[in-house]
Amino acid sequence: MDLSLLSFVQIIVAVLLIIGLMVGNAVVMVYVERKVAGFIQRRPGPYEVGPIGTVQPICDSMKLLGKQLFVPANIDWILFFLAPVLAFFPVLLLFLPIPFGPYLTGLGVGDGILLILAFAGFGVLSNILAGWSSNNKYGLLGAARAVSQSVAYEIPMIMALLAVVFMSGSLNLSEIVAQQGSWPWQWNIVVQPLAFFIYLVSLVGETNRAPFDLPEAESELTAGFHTEYSGMGFALFFLSEYANMLLVSFVCATFFLGGYKGPFLDGFWWTFAKAYAVMFFIVWIRWTFPRVRFDQLLNINWKWLLPLSIINLWLTAIIMKIIS
Amino acid sequence: MLRALWDNVKGIYSLLVGMSITWGFLFSPRKTVHYPRQVVDSEILKSYRGPLELIPDQAGATKCISCQMCVRACPDNCLKVVKSEGGKNPKTWIYDFSLCCLCAACVESCPAGAIRFSHKVYLVTKTREELKLDLLADLKARKSAILGNVPKKSS
Repeated sequence: MDLSLLSFVQIIVAVLLIIGLMVGNAVVMVYVERKVAGFIQRRPGPYEVGPIGTVQPICDSMKLLGKQLFVPANIDWILFFLAPVLAFFPVLLLFLPIPFGPYLTGLGVGDGILLILAFAGFGVLSNILAGWSSNNKYGLLGAARAVSQSVAYEIPMIMALLAVVFMSGSLNLSEIVAQQGSWPWQWNIVVQPLAFFIYLVSLVGETNRAPFDLPEAESELTAGFHTEYSGMGFALFFLSEYANMLLVSFVCATFFLGGYKGPFLDGFWWTFAKAYAVMFFIVWIRWTFPRVRFDQLLNINWKWLLPLSIINLWLTAIIMKIIS
Repeated sequence: MLRALWDNVKGIYSLLVGMSITWGFLFSPRKTVHYPRQVVDSEILKSYRGPLELIPDQAGATKCISCQMCVRACPDNCLKVVKSEGGKNPKTWIYDFSLCCLCAACVESCPAGAIRFSHKVYLVTKTREELKLDLLADLKARKSAILGNVPKKSS
């Protein structure tokens, strides 16, 4: 990778576009989530502001911007304000290696998935810092849960992705997409259904979404690690949560669903369609299943997902050795 | 081991059943109404017990005999019934809905069967004073509405 002026400009443009994507995604997903929640509960959802409530998320974010920044007593000032920033900025980096289209990649990193998995850990770090620095028992409990959950669910997630990496022999996301075909039966989901299932379960755990939203369980911990955050601090956590959802959806689309390849005409629209289908799935199961207990959450991971992913990885390795 | 595996398969199946139910609800018609534009069917509201109202007799007047039984029975002291001079019928019948706990002690204690719960769901006021309802005026307004006169706006 040459660090010429052109690639520098490319990174700047990519980061700006990614910020736009993150904010736009949050606005759209807040609306979609509330609408889907309403429809599943047989009520209309947001309805009053704008045509069928479409301006509602913008009004909400304006209200959030105008809120007083409330700071609790006896906090760790540096970490308290560092945590939301730390939650937000690494996510920018994570979108860079994703191939949105055949030529539409922020930065053609050779080992893209390594970059994503390495910097995804920053999300957990920001959760710990937020929970610990806000001098609140709910915050601390939420942070402790966030750590044990994210650390646990990262392992089967990596194992599932590794199975695909074993097959394609590359850590480059563009290369992985290039080895899949345009039609659904040529995608990795057909040859790696178990890895896809494991990834799907662990991405819900990784992004702290219901039914695995233990770190921010409203009924138990008020809001978990971001209990004490108000105004823009909360908004940054919110934004990064939705950005993380989008990121794991893009990785899912890239690894298992053929990325930008699709029937008739390849292009970035297929990546977005697939990623948002996965997003819709996440929203759908949030409004279907109740929250699991914490021991159940870890049992699912350590007793089922992890052994299954190891068996899957082992089988993949053997089969790849035999046929190659 | 095998039983645990089978339990998990059954568990995943039950998850799929749950997801199919919410998928069905996603596209089924809504069950709620948009309040300012639509209101709930009045037949459904028959089971709703709102603020008290006086029951009219054949002529549309009140059945109340000002015996003060309801006033004594009320645990919240929210009723004020004043008898008119030279007659049984009440002169004032003030009901403070902001205090009422809707316990129905007054309804049960009434020997004349003059009060009941109304089905008013959409009672909204800006001050507590407006919740002190004059039930005689309300009865008169309902009577005139039934007789086809111009209905007076009841407060």
